Amino acid sequence: MTDAPLLQVRDLVHEFPTDIGTVHAVSGVSFDVHQGETLGIVGETGSGKSTLARAVMQAPRPKAGAVLFRGTDLVTLRGARLLQARRHLQMVFQDPFGSLDPKWRVRDLVEEPLIAYKTGDRATRRRRVDEVLELVGLDPAGHGGRRPRELSGGQAQRVAIARAVALSPALIICDEAVSSLDVLIQAQVLNLFERLRAELGLSYLFIAHDLALVKQVSDRVAVMYLGKLCEVGPGEAVYRQPLHPYTRALLDSVPGAGAATHKTIRGEPPSPVHPPSGCRFRTRCPRAEQRCADEEPVPRELATGHRVACHFPLVPMARSTPRSEEKIGDTP
Amino acid sequence: MGQPDGTEQVTDALLDVEDLRVTFPGRGREVHAVDGVSYRVYAGQTLAIVGESGSGKTVSCRAVMGLLPPGALITGSARFQGRQLIGLSDDQLREHRGANIAMVFQDPARSLNPTMRVGAQIAEAVRAHQDVSKARAKAQAVDLLRLVHIPLPERRSVEYPHQLSGGMRQRVMIAIALACRPKLLIADEATTALDVTTQAQIMDLLLELQAELGMALMLISHDLGLAGAYADEVIVMYAGRIVEQAPAARLFSRVRMPYTQALFEAIPRLERPAHAPLPVIGGHPLGPPDASDLPPGCSFAPRCRRAADDCRAAAPPLEEHEAGHRWACWHPVDGGTS
Amino acid sequence: MSAPLPELLAPAQPQGVPAARPRGRGRAPNLRIWLPAGFLIALFCACFFWPLVYPVPKPIGGSILNSGLPPLSPGHIFGTDPVGNDIFSRILHGGQVSFEVGLSVTAIGLAIGGLLGVAAAYWGGAADTAISRVLDVFIAFPALVLALAIAEGLGPSELHVIWALAIFSIPAFGRIARGATLTLREQTFMLAARLSGTRGRRMITRHIVPNIMPQLLTFSLLGIGVVMILEGALSFLGLGIPPPEPSWGSMIAQGQQTISASPDLVLIPSAFLFATVVSLNVLGDALRERWANPMGQSR
Repeated sequence: MTDAPLLQVRDLVHEFPTDIGTVHAVSGVSFDVHQGETLGIVGETGSGKSTLARAVMQAPRPKAGAVLFRGTDLVTLRGARLLQARRHLQMVFQDPFGSLDPKWRVRDLVEEPLIAYKTGDRATRRRRVDEVLELVGLDPAGHGGRRPRELSGGQAQRVAIARAVALSPALIICDEAVSSLDVLIQAQVLNLFERLRAELGLSYLFIAHDLALVKQVSDRVAVMYLGKLCEVGPGEAVYRQPLHPYTRALLDSVPGAGAATHKTIRGEPPSPVHPPSGCRFRTRCPRAEQRCADEEPVPRELATGHRVACHFPLVPMARSTPRSEEKIGDTP
Repeated sequence: MGQPDGTEQVTDALLDVEDLRVTFPGRGREVHAVDGVSYRVYAGQTLAIVGESGSGKTVSCRAVMGLLPPGALITGSARFQGRQLIGLSDDQLREHRGANIAMVFQDPARSLNPTMRVGAQIAEAVRAHQDVSKARAKAQAVDLLRLVHIPLPERRSVEYPHQLSGGMRQRVMIAIALACRPKLLIADEATTALDVTTQAQIMDLLLELQAELGMALMLISHDLGLAGAYADEVIVMYAGRIVEQAPAARLFSRVRMPYTQALFEAIPRLERPAHAPLPVIGGHPLGPPDASDLPPGCSFAPRCRRAADDCRAAAPPLEEHEAGHRWACWHPVDGGTS
Repeated sequence: MSAPLPELLAPAQPQGVPAARPRGRGRAPNLRIWLPAGFLIALFCACFFWPLVYPVPKPIGGSILNSGLPPLSPGHIFGTDPVGNDIFSRILHGGQVSFEVGLSVTAIGLAIGGLLGVAAAYWGGAADTAISRVLDVFIAFPALVLALAIAEGLGPSELHVIWALAIFSIPAFGRIARGATLTLREQTFMLAARLSGTRGRRMITRHIVPNIMPQLLTFSLLGIGVVMILEGALSFLGLGIPPPEPSWGSMIAQGQQTISASPDLVLIPSAFLFATVVSLNVLGDALRERWANPMGQSR
């Protein structure tokens, strides 16, 4: 691993006006992604995770903050320079069919980034296309000439992945990339992501709403709520010793086979147009007090590599215990 | 109010489905969406039907409710408290819907009328089956909103659907479904579009209402974990047929059908370490089978690790091999799962 | 579940359930495409190629001795007009005019208007506002009035009719193209293409144009019919094709004078104009439905 992180996001802010007011989708998010690691971001509807993904890609450019990819701040770049800086940063979207031009053929879709970045001549490009299609488990001869509507969901997503991998990127942002797929196909595509990670040395920013899914593929996990990161830490640590009450609530809400009674979170998610003052989770938090309304919690590192933004975090247990033995709502 | 076939069977099952088949005439080829499905739902029970897209789980329930497009060919029998539902006219079915069987769908944004206030929609449901005044119906609507734990129900009842969150809209859908105290509630992917925290809230609500109203509950989902956590009995469907059925605890501890096992292994689990490769089923990665082109023999054979020649030759029948546990497989997995 | 719900808003059918097609699949939709298309192609060929292949009396300069013959007379299947011209020949030559004007005006509109609309939507901002306002000005004018003024100013001739009508075709196409492009820009695959590095000319020619073409083509078909009628109206008012050259519109105008004595002088050209426009409409409609259907996916 090199010293400087591959991707450094600092105080990213993005908001956009709507009829009912300004939506504060991302309100000061900071994190790093290191070379060769997968950072998972888990968040529910309204958390701002998709907006975050697009803001990192500068599509559109965020309102404030810095996005340093390989040391260059993408936010300050325009036009051709942005294009060049972003060459090794790619994205795979949620809807496999929505992200592929329905009028194009598979081969052309995968070749597109190669043409745009002027890599080699036609023959070289074609070879690369075939190579990449095989890499994702598709048959260049059989599938290359097809249109997206002639593919299944899993195959279409593989085409999207092939397109993302064509330029040998360093980091791929997966925005709910497997959420639209059936369970068994999802497993196959996840395995593909892992294989590419191993073979190509890729790093991922993996965004999803399913905590188990995110933990499965990630080295570190970040939990996002209403535009802010609540907790960031190694996947196992976040799972076994969640520090933020929201993370606890997420874990408790997962329907587990044969799980003991869980405690469901109360209340409704507040609107991102009028987020609560101070800590945004306080309206649904069983541990909230006056301080949470007055003062916004600052992220603190409570264990190695494990940060949380909470005034009253769940104190980590002295030893690591299996989840079923932990009591709900540990008292400090 | 007569019975279409003149007979009334007495069983203690609330809903008795027997050899249900649904076929859609397609361009040249027919689509066998449901291919011989039989099961029973008892009062107060929670039955989950689990399957991927194209498994036929939703189509079979809509067939029972009479909600399929006109071109569908339905054969077989579905009896509710002894009365045959297949073949009833729309008017006759109307009596059943709401009063006996109610359904909650996946996308509340599309199932609610966006131009009508929420309370009015519930009141409409009430008046469809009960002969009450508008004022009375409105009051009942507020009561129903309270029943589904919507805070400040009087205020909410005059709001429009777009003013409510996804979870709230789904609660409104449930309130509409419960307007006339149905005996059976079918939740068709009712929580699929919701966040996991909201899903937990809605599922708790459904179970609470079930206990309070003595309803039977049918959960239709692609989420095996959800089925295991909330259902008494689980049915697994593949390519229009039932491939395994057992009480939830038993299914999860002693799975038999390779497809069910594949589903288990493919679901990301919190307990698993990161980057552990998920077991992949072999065969072509094309996904769920094409219901218009089913192979002879077991429909899961092309993707099954344990498939042998007899699997491809003849489809295994669904039989109760162990007490309370049915499966359809020539080479079942030998019990035990992770 | 309450009674009104399934009827009011049918819940989305699950995957695996083909959407209900009230007209049924197979023969019927194809007929709505091939029947009018066949008719139009046949008519086009007849108008342009029949006189070349098969001897037909000249459409002008007829002998007064032949005047006023009724339809189905020997040698004159549609009869002759008061001046002695063969109606059938005049229909064919008039049809040439209708097709020439209809196709040229639409082609100009599609090319120029389409380009302007796409450019406005793609560039956005000040360029979009500027282009849109200019287009709005032309759309605001009543088409016929301005066409009349132009035709009057320039003098009646087929070319001037084409110019006059093109002034309307361009903004109409511009509006459609702009709307279609704006909708298209919101699609995820457009974002994906941008992130792949595609931009500018390549984005327009490879992504935008292929995806808005179906919409523009169906609009074109419907537009040809409208243009033919407008040409007919201009000629009817004497500002289109100058007599004695035939045009369906001018034939209707002239036949109007003797409508009680020989109604077929009006009815025959009207029938052809009517049949052509209806065919274009039915074909345009059918194609719009066919192309608007979401692509069937093998999920």
